[in-house]
Amino acid sequence: MFRIYCTPCHGIQAQGGRGPRVTRGTHFSGENDSDLFRIIAQGVTGTEMPPFSDQMGEDMIWRLVSYIRSTTQHDPVAPGGDAKAGERLFWDKGCGGCHRVGARGGHLGPDLTREGRQRSLVYLRESIVSPNAEISPGFATIKIVTSEGKRITGVEKGFDNFSAQLMDERGNFYSFERANVTSMQREFRSLMPEGYGTMLSSAELNNLLAYLITLRGPQ
Amino acid sequence: MNRLLCLCGCISLLALGQDDWRTYGKNTLGWRYSELNEINTNNVRQLTPQWIHQTGVLGTFEATPLVFGGLMYVTGVANHAWALDALTGRTIWKYHKTAPTGLNLCCGQVNRGFAALGDKLFKVNIEGTLVALDAKSGSLLWETQIADYKKGFSATAAPLIVKNLVVTGIAGAEFGTRGFVDAYDADTGKRVWRFYTVAGPGEPGGKTWGGESWQRGGGSTWITGTYDAALDLIYWGTGNPGPDMNGDDRPGDNLYTCSVVALDAASGKLKWHFQFTPHDLHDWDAVSDPVLADLTVAGKKVRALIQANRNGFFYALDRTNGKFLHARSYTTVSWADGIGPEGRPNLIPGQDPSEAGTRACPGLGGGHNWQPTAFSPQTGLYYFHSTNGCELFYKVKQDFMEGQWYQASTVDKIRGEHNTGSIVAVDPTTGETKWRFEMISSTAAGVLATAGGLVFAGDGQGYLIAFDARSGQVLWKFQTGGNIAAPPISYALNGRQLIALVAGEALMTLELPHVLLVLLS
Repeated sequence: MFRIYCTPCHGIQAQGGRGPRVTRGTHFSGENDSDLFRIIAQGVTGTEMPPFSDQMGEDMIWRLVSYIRSTTQHDPVAPGGDAKAGERLFWDKGCGGCHRVGARGGHLGPDLTREGRQRSLVYLRESIVSPNAEISPGFATIKIVTSEGKRITGVEKGFDNFSAQLMDERGNFYSFERANVTSMQREFRSLMPEGYGTMLSSAELNNLLAYLITLRGPQ
Repeated sequence: MNRLLCLCGCISLLALGQDDWRTYGKNTLGWRYSELNEINTNNVRQLTPQWIHQTGVLGTFEATPLVFGGLMYVTGVANHAWALDALTGRTIWKYHKTAPTGLNLCCGQVNRGFAALGDKLFKVNIEGTLVALDAKSGSLLWETQIADYKKGFSATAAPLIVKNLVVTGIAGAEFGTRGFVDAYDADTGKRVWRFYTVAGPGEPGGKTWGGESWQRGGGSTWITGTYDAALDLIYWGTGNPGPDMNGDDRPGDNLYTCSVVALDAASGKLKWHFQFTPHDLHDWDAVSDPVLADLTVAGKKVRALIQANRNGFFYALDRTNGKFLHARSYTTVSWADGIGPEGRPNLIPGQDPSEAGTRACPGLGGGHNWQPTAFSPQTGLYYFHSTNGCELFYKVKQDFMEGQWYQASTVDKIRGEHNTGSIVAVDPTTGETKWRFEMISSTAAGVLATAGGLVFAGDGQGYLIAFDARSGQVLWKFQTGGNIAAPPISYALNGRQLIALVAGEALMTLELPHVLLVLLS
């Protein structure tokens, strides 16, 4: 069951990916078996974790809880960086211009308030170095050419067969009907600049990761 | 004013009166075609919601509503069902049975609708029972156990009425079950016959299974079949062999999985079968509606059975004998280089699931899954949803334990690839795609064709869409506010044509504005 329902986000070895690593023994919305049951059954509001109670019976969910507990391992090798230095870097290098941590930061990129709980270290490193490797749902790039020829690019806020909603880099919100524009495209790439892998030194990258992994949201 | 004059001149109104929707596929041939034409290509842009009924039950609704006698009957998730006043949407009665704990389900507590005979309604419950309800009150008349949920069986399909029989299928191929089609006496609930879709030792087809693998060979029958009264044959699609994407323990073709079977209505005896995907390794069930249409193929009239199969090919068969007529891919296919003259696929090597993962197209969900399809005798076209995309298929080692998940395989998305969907119109006489409306994603909703020259379909983002049935042009759309995973229907009430469907957890109906109807009349 884990392989069918969980691996697309949590990895085939439960090592995490787009979803958090579930081998830590601590989890996003609670630590007990009953919390795990609730997370699987009801999902986690405000995250990409959907409810599975419709697909699975109680017995099956408990079996999943049991399996997840059996995968518990110690934390992986820490990034080895300085979290305080990483925090300074985060705000000084402009990460906070697009990403939010708590009440501070921008709105264009994913909110990172709980990122240390939600994402694996491998995934976070890849997201910084190769931001186009995997796009979080709802953060693709929308490109519009209006009937007047104006080009507008922004992050996806909504996209369907007939319309698109987007926010540009200045935070302006737009909504367009496909029938009323010259072109409407969704590209599965990030508005986050590429090149942080070379712009940041190895030590800086580790510092940044050390900071991100501490972001665990309200306890 | 000119527009209204044109409408008045163009519309040929039927004597509407009452026009019911009494069975899953509108007729037993599975057409999902309404002969009503009050709503048509000229006026569909005026379509307006009439009422919305919030069920208050969360989950994925996949049911085809039935409408007759002024009531609308619809089933929901988790053994819920309702009878509504078709005029206002007000609840007349509710049915609910609490499902037992310990269910083993692949795909949720879904249900796809009622069957009706006289004043009785029939539906399956998720734990593998078949119930008969009094249509006027919803009270239980009888309940029969079809199969044991503790062994991994479950039931989701709308039954099919054939004379005085209630014919139904079963689900559970992901749990090492052995599938079947059953027929029950409508008056008593007593089983009249059973046809096993996995051939056992000594039976025809029994040698297409290795060892004891037939005992857990799958072959679920989780979508409603069709019936040809002239031939007195029931046609039912069968699902994947088990374990799904790992054929190591089941060498052979694995009859009658991934097939359509033609069964004698009175006895349930097999008249013929046609297997679309021998020894399936990609979970490509053949359960999609086996639509029965009389076609002219290569100059000859033929009583055909058509299906957009999950393996990515559209097929036409002679439904009198199961003979293969033709097949053509309608989406990206990597596993077969066409279908041979006898109907067997020309396999392309290197497509089988592996421990390291093998990319194959279509993906697990197939090119077309279970979503209800439609055939329009007006256009001669066959309409269905399609998915375009590929997946990584893995096989793993797994021992069988009764009642437990038994797939011995899994799939994964391919990084950087994103499946898309479409609504497709295929000429069933050739398999040629006549038009295609591209969508951003696949969808679970079905389609409806009407004599108004329209095709209605839903999408995963909540739009109900009306297409010109001939050209595929979008004529109208409406944001319903909920994921559409169920097919629309059409019926007439008090002389007016309506469209109805479940969107999200709500049932809604739509019609032309009254002022327009007054002008038209």
